[in-house]
This record gives sequence, C-alpha cells and structure tokens, in this order.
Amino acid sequence: MVLPPLCALLVVLATWEAWVQLRDVKAYLLPAPSAVAVALAAEPGRFLEGARVSLGHALGGLAVGTGAAFVLAVVMAHSRPLERAIYPLAILVKVTPVVAVAPLLIIWFGFGPVPKVLVAALITFFPMLVNAVTGLRSIDPSAFDFLRALNASRWQIFWKLRVYAALPYILAALRISIPLSLVGAVVSEWMSGDGGMGQIILIDNGEFDTAGLFGAVTVLAVIGVVLTALVAYIERRVLFWHESSAGL
Amino acid sequence: MHEYASAAGSVRALDDVSLAVAEGEFVSLVGPSGCGKTTLLRAAAGLLPSKPASLRVFGRSPDEARADRTMGLVTQDPGLLPWRSVADNVALTSEVTGSRVDVAALLARVGIERFAAFHPGELSGGMRQRVALARALAHRPRLLLMDEPFGALDELSREDLRLELLRIWERDRVSVLFVTHSIREAVLLSDRVVVMSPSPGRIVADVRVDLPRPRFLAMESEPAFAALVSVVRAALGGARPVGLSA
Ligand SMILES: Nc1ncnc2c1ncn2[C@@H]1O[C@H](COP(=O)(O)OP(=O)(O)OP(=O)(O)O)[C@@H](O)[C@H]1O
Ligand SMILES: [Mg+2]
Repeated sequence: MVLPPLCALLVVLATWEAWVQLRDVKAYLLPAPSAVAVALAAEPGRFLEGARVSLGHALGGLAVGTGAAFVLAVVMAHSRPLERAIYPLAILVKVTPVVAVAPLLIIWFGFGPVPKVLVAALITFFPMLVNAVTGLRSIDPSAFDFLRALNASRWQIFWKLRVYAALPYILAALRISIPLSLVGAVVSEWMSGDGGMGQIILIDNGEFDTAGLFGAVTVLAVIGVVLTALVAYIERRVLFWHESSAGL
Repeated sequence: MHEYASAAGSVRALDDVSLAVAEGEFVSLVGPSGCGKTTLLRAAAGLLPSKPASLRVFGRSPDEARADRTMGLVTQDPGLLPWRSVADNVALTSEVTGSRVDVAALLARVGIERFAAFHPGELSGGMRQRVALARALAHRPRLLLMDEPFGALDELSREDLRLELLRIWERDRVSVLFVTHSIREAVLLSDRVVVMSPSPGRIVADVRVDLPRPRFLAMESEPAFAALVSVVRAALGGARPVGLSA
C-alpha cells in the first residue's frame, strides 16, 4: 500500500533532478532535490528547532481550536435554539480570512506563542464544529429510543451513544484541521518572525536561498504527512465498526 | 389521544384508545399501516412529548413507569451499538439501570452464547434481533414493548424467533405488547389480539386466543387456529385479499 506512492514520488524526484541538471536551471529558481537535501543536511539543528516550534504552535492551536469547537458542538447538539444563535457567529469566524486577523492578534498578544496558537486555533475551529454537531446528532434513533425507554440520563446517552456516533466525524474533522493548523502556524510565524518554519521560510526567501526554502517546505510536508498518517492509523484502530472502514 | 403537529398540519394519530395488558399477558396489536400502532407503543414507553393523561402502565403514567425501568423496548431496527460486542451490548442495560445482569445466562437464553465476542456487524439480522431481545430483557422488565421486532427478517429466522420468544415468554410470563403486521404471528403468540383501525387510530376488536400453551408452529394448521385467523382478518375489514398479511 505504501509502495506505489513511494515509487511515484521517486519518479517525480528523479525527473526533477534530471531536468535541473540537464537544463542547467538556476539554483535560485529551482534547486535540484539533491541541493535541497544538502541544504537540509547543512543545518539540521536549525530545521529541527524550526519544526519543533511550528509543531508546537500547530498542535497547540489544534488542541485549543478543536477543543473549543467540540465543547460548543456539545451545547449546540443538545439545543436547536442555541445552535441557531451560535451558528452565524461560527460562520463569521469561518469566512473571515485568518491572514487578515493574524496581525491584529500579534498587536494584542505581542510576540511569543500566544498569537500563533490562536491563529491555528481559529483556522481549525470551524471544521470540527460542523462535523462534531453533525456527528453528535447522527445517533441511531432505535438505540436512542431503547436508552430513553430505560430512562437513561442525558449524560449516559452522551457518553454511551453520542460520543461514539460522533467519532467518525471527529476524526474526519481532524484530518481536515491538521494541515490547516500548520497553515495557521506558518502564516503567523511569517508575520512576527520569532521562530518556527515560517521564520525560516521568510529568511531564506529574503536571501534567495531557494534550496533552504525548499528544505523548509519539505519539513512541513513531512510533518503534515506524519500527522495525517497518525490520524488514519487511529481511525483504523478505533472505527473498525464503522462502514467507512469496511473497505480498508 | 395523541396528535402529531407538523408543518403539513396536525395528525390525530390516536383517538380514545384504551388498552389494558394484564400482568403476564401477551397482547398483540394489529392494524393497517399508519393506524397508530407505533404511536401507541411509544406513548406507553413514555417516548412521546405529549403525555396523554388517560394512558396508564401498571396504574401509573408512562413517565413514572419509565422512571422505574419497568419496560424493555425492541424495535424492528434492532438499534444495537455497533462498536460494542454482543456481550457489551447486553451489558449496556445494566450500565444504564444499575441492575445486576448475568450476561452469559441471557445470551444462552436467546441462543447466541457462542457469539458473545462478536460485533453486531458480524451477525445476521436474526441474531441481531436476539441480542436486542436479550438486551431488553436484561433488567427483568414487567412489560416488554415490541414493535414489529421480526418484520425485517426472512421467513425462516422469523419462525425461529417466534418460537424462541414463545419459549422465553412461557417461562418468564412478562407482560408483552407486541405490534405486528402478521395475523398468524399475532394468533400464534398471543393471549389477546387487539385490532386497530386507521385515522385516527381506534380499537375495533379484541380477540381472545384460547389455544393451549405451550404453543408450537404446527398449531397453525389446526382448525381452531384458522378460525381465529379469520376472526381477526374479518375485524381488519375482511375485504383485503386472503394471505396478504398471513
Ligand atoms: N413523527 C411523526 N410526525 C408526524 N406524523 C407522524 C409521525 N409519526 C407518525 N405519524 C403519523 O401518525 C399516524 C400513525 O403512525 P404510526 O407510525 O403510529 O402507525 P403504525 O400503525 O405504526 O404504522 P406501520 O404499521 O406502518 O408501522 C400516521 O398517520 C403517521 O403518518
Ligand atoms: Mg409502526
């Protein structure tokens, strides 16, 4: 299952390398994969530190954004009036470009991790909210009736039925939100420039160090792939009962 | 009396229905589709938002009966939790009610002890319905409410489950209110068959079934059985083609 995409990746890299070597493409326009590898190997500490900082911002934002979204989703799933009240506000958060809000957050919260985490939180909020509300409502009516006939409390119905019904939706939302959280982290790091992959990109870009820039992009891509693979793994382990896993 | 209000107008689903199920009695409810059988059953289970004052379950309101966990519910769609094993699905009842439940014994009673570790997705429709039955019986309810429990099954599983239910009921003598579309099923299982007519739902006949117990599938070919089937069918309107709902 891993082999075909790996082969495709190798073919792309080989073509790229050959193209750059044969056509003698300028390094500041498009560095060869080998040059990117050299750039990464030259300063491993710099890239690792950048990755650590960005990962912290992204995961911190993911936790705050999706956590807040889930709590709100629980409220909304239990009350249609509250859902109608909150939903337009949530849409407002969704349609406002985070890039536009990021400078404001930096003014408010200064440098340091807080504005970055908040930008990542804002961008991951909406997918989780919508999915979690849908998921928490997607309970089997017969199972719901059975539990109510037993006089189960809301609390029991929540923990024994709703949460499980919502799991496939929550994991799907995470798949969407993880790459978004990286976007949020990098964008806000560009703007305040005190660490993270965003800052590395900004600096290498200014110095026309395109190989270093590609190195940073590669590191971000690897982080995104690893995190998404982790969610996919959890999905397979946790959702064995769900029809989505029937084909896996 | 129960009305459904919706954008399309309100439907009076039930009208002055009065139905008593005695302790340990098996009562079937038959009637054309849409006559309010499910509504009546759900009202008895305390699941409807409107609370008809006239409805009594063992002398109390459905909500009070529900609070005391006197009822167990089995519906056409079994509504099992697909992430739980068969055993854990049955254990759900004890988790909710706090009653002590011997899961293994219950599974044995409905004949699925070998499937305790399976998940619902790995079971046939008939076996799933057995799990639903075990789950509904787990807290020893006084009243078992069943809404077309075998309606989605193939004929063979349906006969198996009828027999299984007969055996369980003849041993435990829990009160049962059983909704079905099959006249023969109603006659085979019940002490009484209550016939409803549609819009709004009303009770038009109450037929006592005095066939001896224990009952067997072979009884269906006896003249007494056939006679009871015709009585119920006549009450349902008689004009319907023979065999349609048998
Ligand atoms: N949720 C609902 N909202 C509005 N009307 C409803 C609702 N449920 C049922 N009804 C109406 O109430 C009446 C009785 O429905 P009910 O489901 O109780 O019938 P039934 O006898 O169980 O039918 P069936 O044999 O097909 O299961 C029907 O006219 C139906 O259209
Ligand atoms: Mg019905």
